[in-house]
Amino acid sequence: MQGNIASAEGALAAGCTFFGGYPITPSTEVAEHMAARMPKIKGSCFIQMEDEIASMAAIIGAAWTGARSMTATSGPGFSLMMENIGYAVMTETPCVLVNIQRGGPSTGQPTMGAQGDMMQVRFGSHGDYSIIALCPSSVQECFDLTAKAFNLADRFRTPVFLMADEVIGHMREKLEIPDSVEIVRPKTLPEGMLPFTPGPDGVPGFAPFGTGRYTHVTGLTHDERGYPDTTNPARHDALVRRLVSKIEDARHEIADYTIVNEDAEYVFVCYGAPVRTVKEVVDKRKVPKTGYLQLRIVWPFPEELLKRFPKCRAFIVPEMNLGMIVREVGRHVKIPVIPVSRIGGELHTPEDLIEAVKIAESTT
Amino acid sequence: MRDEWFRADRLPHIYCAGCGNGTIVNCVLEAVSMTGWDRKNTVFLSGIGCSSRAPGYILTDSLHTTHGRAIAFATGVKMADPSLHVVVFTGDGDLAAIGGNHFIHACRRNIDLTVVCMNNHIYGMTGGQGSPTTPLGKTSTTTPYGASETPFDLVDLAVAAGANYVARWTSFHVKQLTEAVLNGLNTPGFSLIEVRCQCPTSYGRRNKYREPVDYITHLKAHAILKDKWESMEKSGQDMPADSFPVGEFVRRARPVMGVPDEA
Amino acid sequence: MKLEIDESRCKGCNLCTMVCPYKIYRPGSRPNRKGIYIPELDRPERCPNCRLQELYGRRLCGVCALICPDQAIRWVPEKPYEPMKVVIEY
Repeated sequence: MQGNIASAEGALAAGCTFFGGYPITPSTEVAEHMAARMPKIKGSCFIQMEDEIASMAAIIGAAWTGARSMTATSGPGFSLMMENIGYAVMTETPCVLVNIQRGGPSTGQPTMGAQGDMMQVRFGSHGDYSIIALCPSSVQECFDLTAKAFNLADRFRTPVFLMADEVIGHMREKLEIPDSVEIVRPKTLPEGMLPFTPGPDGVPGFAPFGTGRYTHVTGLTHDERGYPDTTNPARHDALVRRLVSKIEDARHEIADYTIVNEDAEYVFVCYGAPVRTVKEVVDKRKVPKTGYLQLRIVWPFPEELLKRFPKCRAFIVPEMNLGMIVREVGRHVKIPVIPVSRIGGELHTPEDLIEAVKIAESTT
Repeated sequence: MRDEWFRADRLPHIYCAGCGNGTIVNCVLEAVSMTGWDRKNTVFLSGIGCSSRAPGYILTDSLHTTHGRAIAFATGVKMADPSLHVVVFTGDGDLAAIGGNHFIHACRRNIDLTVVCMNNHIYGMTGGQGSPTTPLGKTSTTTPYGASETPFDLVDLAVAAGANYVARWTSFHVKQLTEAVLNGLNTPGFSLIEVRCQCPTSYGRRNKYREPVDYITHLKAHAILKDKWESMEKSGQDMPADSFPVGEFVRRARPVMGVPDEA
Repeated sequence: MKLEIDESRCKGCNLCTMVCPYKIYRPGSRPNRKGIYIPELDRPERCPNCRLQELYGRRLCGVCALICPDQAIRWVPEKPYEPMKVVIEY
């Protein structure tokens, strides 16, 4: 099965009942599959919106009726969604976005893979905020992580991003679909509690429309009741810090990763499609002194994991961009961090990475 | 009763003295209270602008969204849960400029929404810039020598795009407006009620209608009933400057989306 | 019923003075604490809603309350309500 379709199936398994989409290569198969499947599921709705701005708006609207909602897009569409992604963050709306990354900037390479949106997903909308981004490296992970994304979205009341890429999205692999997936819905808003009063974990209970709580939802800085309060510096400070900390504080608890060879001297830090080349180098060719850390949740970045390699002399970060997560790694460690950048749409070859190990050996 | 629909703790609202938006909120809530709808199942949405602050004063679930996108959000709400009654407040800049695409596509889909456009011919919240409905020659901060672009006719736009119910009134015609909103609420499919209203602060001040009473007198004098307008057109008369037709323009039963299944 | 203007809401736009068919509202002559000229009432008992709302069991006219952008106009029950005093005009 194809990665895109596995992602759509993962969403359906997780109980996604609303999909708002707009065609864009290389993510279109997600929408096409939803268009075929959803009308046959009672209470589900697929709608093709007039643009990506509207798609993002529609899934936020749907999420406020209590539905699990999702959209899928790629680079240019992702840029259009930025405005309403900020709105979803500010209003604490649970929703899932699949971004099948392609070469950019602008229209770039519609049919080639890239990982150039990894900073945009974290910082792309205006203002300070934090989100959760998952990166699958196989078709199975497309399924599993999409289903997981819904649970994270509901738990933290935040947009959650599945940052796949064209390589994974269009790859065909064997997929095992479990009989059922774990479904964790948001906490309900306790009686007598205001709709934006945070719980102990910083996340407020959720009172969707139609439950008689008369929630006012606004993208303006708001108080616990949801009413705008835009000129009080303390209010804004407290709200935005809470929106960030509810996610960042949980970064080690929700971390999803694989560590191989903890005593390695040269450690690959990888996510998404490059994981496959890293596995070839470390697991199959068994290049000496190498190990890797695969991140399935890249944002919030679990920097403590970097300390799990006590003998590490250098981190090597292969990415299909000119160096994004490599900066995040470099921010947290004092040893050399070597980027292996590859853009243009092709994966790293094992030789690229072996060469990087040699460079690491010569510089440390 | 209309009063039950207000968030009384939020009043008085932020609108300037004499602003037509407050009148329109009254009329919409009067109409909504006449439908017998449950407040629990009614949702008000809006975008950005003066008009879009309205849902914040209404005691229902309400979604104050991003600029121009209210109808796209409303599409999501209505399609995900067709049992909810969905009303959208929007302004002329919100609906016709930045939200123009969402507007015509919602008309085309004929989604069961009621959209009330508070058309004050200006961007009021940002201090009086020209909008796509600023009449030719009128002054705003971005058209200091008079607007030189032809304005949109929102009613024609909605009719052409396929909406099931389209009406236009002014903030003077409170009784007719209330009835039109009620008709819009009761008509399955997309309903647009355009309300020409006064903005004494940003528009009137620069266009010789500083006093709300003068402004609304002007609106009243230049609103011509649709039937009269059409007969004037037929007889080849010159239309008085700044005048516009008011009334019900379309009421039809094209196929709709977002209504609950019969089952 | 008694006609009331809520001073905490009224912003003095005078639209009520324009629409009332009985000319019950007059532009205010003295500013209140907030500097707003609240309209004054001229023999409000002439308002049909004041006289007849209880009898008909529904709101009559009500244009002033509908057009009031600030939701400042309302009718409050007068106590004790005495139906004997209601005179129906034909």
